[in-house]
Amino acid sequence: MKIRAFFAILLCRLLRGVSRLLHRGGTAMPGRWALRVCPGLLKLLARDLKILAVTGTNGKTTSARMMEEAFARRGLSYVANRSGANLASGLTTELVMNATLTGKPKKDYAILECDEAAARTVFGQIKPKVVVVTNLFRDQLDRYGEVTHTLENIRAAIQGAPEATLCLNADCSLTASLALDLPNPVIWFGIEPGAVPSRPVPEISDATHCIRCKTAYEYDYVSYGHLGGFRCPHCGYRRHRADVAVTAVPEQRLDGSSIVLEAGGQKQLVQVNLPALYNVYNAAGAVAAVTAMGLPLQTAVEALGSFQCGFGRMEQFDLGKAGSKMMLVKNPAGCNQVIEFLQNVKEDFVLVVCLNDRGADGTDISWIWDADFEGLQALSGRMKQVIVSGDRAPDMRVRIKYAGIDDGKIRVERDYARLVDWIAGQELPVFLMPTYTAMLELRQAVVHKVGGAEFWEK
Amino acid sequence: MELKICHMYPDVLNLYGDRGNMICLRQRLAWRGIETQITRLPIGSEARLSDFDLVFIGGGQDFEQQVLLEDLHRGKDREIRAAIEDGIPFLTICGGYQMLGHYYETYDGKRCDFIGAVDLYTVGSKTRMIGNYKFRCGEASGGSLVVGFENHSGKTWLGSGVQPLGTVLAGFGNNGEDKTEGVRYRNVFGTYSHGPLLPKNPELCDRILLTALERKYGKAELSPLDDAAEKAAHDEVAGRI
Repeated sequence: MKIRAFFAILLCRLLRGVSRLLHRGGTAMPGRWALRVCPGLLKLLARDLKILAVTGTNGKTTSARMMEEAFARRGLSYVANRSGANLASGLTTELVMNATLTGKPKKDYAILECDEAAARTVFGQIKPKVVVVTNLFRDQLDRYGEVTHTLENIRAAIQGAPEATLCLNADCSLTASLALDLPNPVIWFGIEPGAVPSRPVPEISDATHCIRCKTAYEYDYVSYGHLGGFRCPHCGYRRHRADVAVTAVPEQRLDGSSIVLEAGGQKQLVQVNLPALYNVYNAAGAVAAVTAMGLPLQTAVEALGSFQCGFGRMEQFDLGKAGSKMMLVKNPAGCNQVIEFLQNVKEDFVLVVCLNDRGADGTDISWIWDADFEGLQALSGRMKQVIVSGDRAPDMRVRIKYAGIDDGKIRVERDYARLVDWIAGQELPVFLMPTYTAMLELRQAVVHKVGGAEFWEK
Repeated sequence: MELKICHMYPDVLNLYGDRGNMICLRQRLAWRGIETQITRLPIGSEARLSDFDLVFIGGGQDFEQQVLLEDLHRGKDREIRAAIEDGIPFLTICGGYQMLGHYYETYDGKRCDFIGAVDLYTVGSKTRMIGNYKFRCGEASGGSLVVGFENHSGKTWLGSGVQPLGTVLAGFGNNGEDKTEGVRYRNVFGTYSHGPLLPKNPELCDRILLTALERKYGKAELSPLDDAAEKAAHDEVAGRI
C-alpha cells in the first residue's frame, strides 16, 4: 500500500507538472491516473485532514469560496479544490499537491466541493467532519436522472460519513428530507417567513408532492423555485425552523445584499458581496458550515462581505466601456435567479447568452424552456441587444424569440474572439450568461483580452 | 378565432422543457392574431375535456407516477378516451404518450395499467435510449422532418389499429427496433420527442394547430410566418445527427 501510494503520488505530481508546462489546468487528469495506480489513495490523503464537504445542485463553488475566506481570515491552513474539479479525480489531485510524497497532508483543513453523484463513493473515503447540502433542483437530467435519484445519491454518500454534522437547507423539501432517516446531527439554514416577499409557487416546481407520502405540499411562503415554507397536510412533514436564519433582506443591490442574520442567539446586519437571493442562501449555508467546523460566528459573518467570488459567478470584468459581468447558468433554477437579477438593472444594457451541450453542460438543452426567459420581456426596453453564442446558439435564438423578444434584436455570433472584441467597443454594460463549458472558453477569451487569472489560479 | 387548449398535469408532467410546446403553440397563434385560452389541469382538478379544442400532456418523473395514476383512474381515463374518440386533437410526449396506451410493463415483469385510449403498450428495458434523434413524419402527418431529443427506457409497440407518427432516420424512436416513432390515431399525435418538440419543428406545430382549427371551424388557414430562426436551429441539429 505504502509503495503504491508513493508511486501514485509521484505520478500525480509529474502529470500535473507536465500539464502546467503545457499551460493546461491538470486539475482532474493526474488524480485519475493516481487513483488507478492506488485506489485507496484518496482515503490515505484525507486521513489527517479536518474536512468540510459541500454538495448539492446549485451554489457549491460560491459557498465554498465564502467558507474559504473565513478560514483564511482566521489564519488557518487549508486546501480547497477551487478549480471546480469536483469528482474523486479532482479531489485527489488537489490533496496530492498539498501533501508530502508519503501522503501526509501539509495543511490542517480541507474545503472540498463535491459533485452530487461522485459524493456517493467519495464521502466514505474522506470522512468529512461537516457536510453542507446547498439545495436540490432539476439539473442535467440526462446525466443524473430524476432529482430524486440525486437525493438518493447524497443520502447514500452521507451514510458513508455517519459522524458528520449536516448543514441542510431548511427551505428545500428535498434536501431537508435527508434528516428524516439519517442519524447525523443537523444544523438548519434558511430564509425565515416574512424576510422576502413571498411569491406564487412557480409554474415549474421540482418538488410539488411530499417526499414521504406523495400528498401535494402546501406553502406558507415561497422564496424561489420550490424553496420556502412547505408543509404536507397529510403526514405532517414540514419545514424545520432555521438555526442560521435570514430574518430580513433590507437591501438587494447589483453588487450584493444586506441581510439580517440570526444565529447563535445574535441578530446582526450582514453584508453579502454577491447579488441575488440564491447567494443569500449560499451565505447562510456558509455561516452554518464554518461555525460547525468550530470557527467563531463573527469570522464567518465577516467573510461574507470580503470573499472573492468564484470564476464566472457574477464575476466583473473590465471589458467594454461600462464593464461586463459574467453569470454562469446551468439549470432552470439558477437561470431564473439570473434573469431576476437583471430586473434590478436600471440602465440600458446588452445581454450575451452562450449555450453549449457538452458533457459537463448536459447534452440535453431542453432545460432552457423550463427557465423563465419570458422575464426578459419586462426588460426589453432597456435590453438593447441580445447576442447568442455557443454550440447551440440557434436554439438559444429560438428560445429568446419565443420568450417574446423581437428576433431582429437577436444576433448570432459564434466566434468568441470576435465577440469579445465587439464587447470591448460597447458603451453599455454587458451581461454574459454562459453555460459551464461555454464559460470556460468565453472567460479565456475575455482574460486574453483584458487580463485576469486562469481558471486554475483563481 | 380562438383555440382553447388544455394543459393536463402541468404540475407533475413538466420535464425536459415540454412546456416549451405550450409556449410555441400560443406564440404561433398570437403572431397570426388568433387568441389562445390555456387551462392548466393539475392533479385533483376537474374539467370537461369536451370543452377544449386541443389537449397537451407532457412527460414526467417516476416519482409522481403513482399519484398520477390514481388521479387518472378516478374518471379522467374515461374522459380522455371519450375526447379522443370524439376527435379532439391531443399532443402527448413521452410519459404522456405512454400513458394513453394499455399498460407499462417494467423490466422485471411488473405491470402497471394505463388508460387504453390508444392501441399501444410499453415494456421497460435495461438501457436508456437517449440523445438527439430525427424522424420523417408520415404523409398523414405532413411528411416533415422532425428533430428532437429522446430520453426513455420504455420500448413502445404499436397495435394494428394505429399508425406511427413517423419513421426513424437516426436514433431509437418507439423501441429502437422497428424504426417507428410515435403514434397517430384519430387526432392524437404521440411522440417520444422532447427538445421540446414544437419550437424547432414549426411545420409539425402548424399541422397540429390546423387540425385543431379545422375541427372547430370546419375550414381554416394559417398565414405563413418568418421561420428563419426556427429553420436554422432545426437544420443545424438535423445536420449533426
